Amino acid sequence: MADPAAVLLDPAVEPVVAPAPPAQPAPNRRRRALAVVLSLLLLAASLVLATRVGAGLGWPQIGRAVGVRLGLPVQPLPPLLDSLLWDLRVPRVLLAALVGAALAVCGAALQSVTRNALADPYLLGVSSGASTGAVVVVLLGFAGSQLSVAGGAFLGALVSFGLLMLLLRRGGLHSMRIVLTGVVVGQMFTALTSLILMSSGDADSTRALTHWLLGSLAPARWSAVLLCAVACAVGLLVVWLCSAALDGFAFGADTAASLGIDVRTTRAVLLVTTSLLTAVAVAAVGAIGFVGLIVPHGVRLLVGPLHRLLLPVCAVVGAAFLVWTDALARVAFAPLEVPVGVFTALLGVPLFLLVLRRRGEL
Amino acid sequence: MSRPTRLGLAVVAVALATGCAAPQGGATPAASAGTTAVESCGQRLTFANTPQRVVALDQSSTETLLALGVQERMAGTANLKTKVAPRYAEAYAKVPVLSPKVLTAEPLRAAGPDFVVASFKELFTADRAGTRDELAKLSVPTYVSAVNCPDGATPPFERLFRDYQNLGRILGAQDRAGQLVAEQRGVVAEVEATARKRPRGLKVVWVYSVFNGIPYVAGRDGMASHMSRLAGAENVFDDVAQEWPEVSWEEIARRDPDVIVVGDLSERGNPGDKASEKLAVMRQHPAVSKLDAVRNGSFIELPGIEMDPSVRTVDALRAFSEGLDRIAGRG
Repeated sequence: MADPAAVLLDPAVEPVVAPAPPAQPAPNRRRRALAVVLSLLLLAASLVLATRVGAGLGWPQIGRAVGVRLGLPVQPLPPLLDSLLWDLRVPRVLLAALVGAALAVCGAALQSVTRNALADPYLLGVSSGASTGAVVVVLLGFAGSQLSVAGGAFLGALVSFGLLMLLLRRGGLHSMRIVLTGVVVGQMFTALTSLILMSSGDADSTRALTHWLLGSLAPARWSAVLLCAVACAVGLLVVWLCSAALDGFAFGADTAASLGIDVRTTRAVLLVTTSLLTAVAVAAVGAIGFVGLIVPHGVRLLVGPLHRLLLPVCAVVGAAFLVWTDALARVAFAPLEVPVGVFTALLGVPLFLLVLRRRGEL
Repeated sequence: MSRPTRLGLAVVAVALATGCAAPQGGATPAASAGTTAVESCGQRLTFANTPQRVVALDQSSTETLLALGVQERMAGTANLKTKVAPRYAEAYAKVPVLSPKVLTAEPLRAAGPDFVVASFKELFTADRAGTRDELAKLSVPTYVSAVNCPDGATPPFERLFRDYQNLGRILGAQDRAGQLVAEQRGVVAEVEATARKRPRGLKVVWVYSVFNGIPYVAGRDGMASHMSRLAGAENVFDDVAQEWPEVSWEEIARRDPDVIVVGDLSERGNPGDKASEKLAVMRQHPAVSKLDAVRNGSFIELPGIEMDPSVRTVDALRAFSEGLDRIAGRG
């Protein structure tokens, strides 16, 4: 895995993200603290407010449901409304937050590792590979266990990543080329997913296709939340611990090596970790695009390119972003649900074009 | 032991175990003493009281409930493919439409149902109405049509009748259910009797819909194949183990049917849904237009919605049988 990956680091390509000077003056530090606090507040507010968005629950009902759990003397909700809140809405909002955080951090890490501003698990085809893996596991009859679906998705993600590296082995490296190759790999796995689902003879194959290819948080339950929470806790920490290496990668492999970074190992660790995070996200909610692309770019404008700060703020902003996009998916055409990937794409594509334009590639 | 007997024993056993009197078919809409137990597609449903807030997840189950006259106790319906039958339109107007398409878990729970009815197991998944187990844990029993759970022995119409009886028992509408079963069983018997007077083995193709110029016809697994057999005819695509397989016009021509049943889906309103549009396509097709069936006009037009299992399917069966009489008598 690490060897072919080396081709992704072409010293001829200008650094995408220029690290700020290492010494941080005091005002900057205060700004950083402010950014972290503000984004955490944003996330907390989003989680609470988005829980209210959707059918059946107003603030009084939510207040009563929470009050009962806290042992306050309030009238409990009818069991079905209580379950709407605790079994459906709350896990759904939390899962959106976890998946958003995972995808945004994956995007930021991949952009640095591949030195490509356009890298993102979705554009590079990793999400599609993960969905193929998940679909295979589901059709083999292990749909019941969230863990086995995530395992299949992980294998699929690794295979698609490996294929991408293989295809990029030779020839000049240009960010457009990486993206085009990623799109091609993604298309292939999308077609494979369609083929497997359509040939399965399941009457509902079109619906399953929409879920795996566009993503939806409608099936969110606590089991998926727990698995995602564990994976995110481990995965995000691993990526964050590689912050210094990610800063170094932005200058190219040689520079990174001269800074004392074990390039091959670190890169392998990062690629496997991002594959894992993407896989867990895809297994839970299908392939949701563009979160990993637009969130890191937006956050970089706000807090600068240093990963020690960039990654946590990306996680928090990505979480809030998906929480709100999913709330939109829930109510825009209520009672019909729109796959959340439709909205992330509608918001993401214009921003993607903006990034291309700023880089003079469009 | 036959299924009804086993069911009956189960009811008695539960009634004895709970120390209540067994329901004697006199369950009243308000609240009946005793427990009703029904087996539905792998789940055992028990009812201490008659459900008062029923939600139907699709058109077929909605129409069955309306036929049983329980619209006053329906808390919602969803996912209508076309209009409900005119005879149910008035009753249907009283039922809240929770979603024009597939109902999802949140609006279902917000509607506060105490019983959910569906024609297909597939409507009960985590991303749709929520799983049957989840709802069972919330004390909301879920009924899935017996048509969707073939046991390999019971013919499809009998499975429909079992639905009427089960739902009638659960909802305290046994009389109406009994009447419905008697009427529809009468139609089936009548069609079988007529079939004996007619030359057997007429080859029939059921053209359900034409999508992008490609015909969808009745395979072996649907109601149409069963109706063909009841009427003494032979569905030419019985070798395809699907409900509505997609085939080619050339293949239809090759199988040279004596009779062509055309589904009219004009209520659905998509291009090509009208029976007349399908007839026009056949009359223009180089191979199909040369078939005797097309030249002689051996067509039977039926509402497409009635070709799928529902409380209206006997109407299609009767019309199909009459159409065969017309065509055979003329020949």
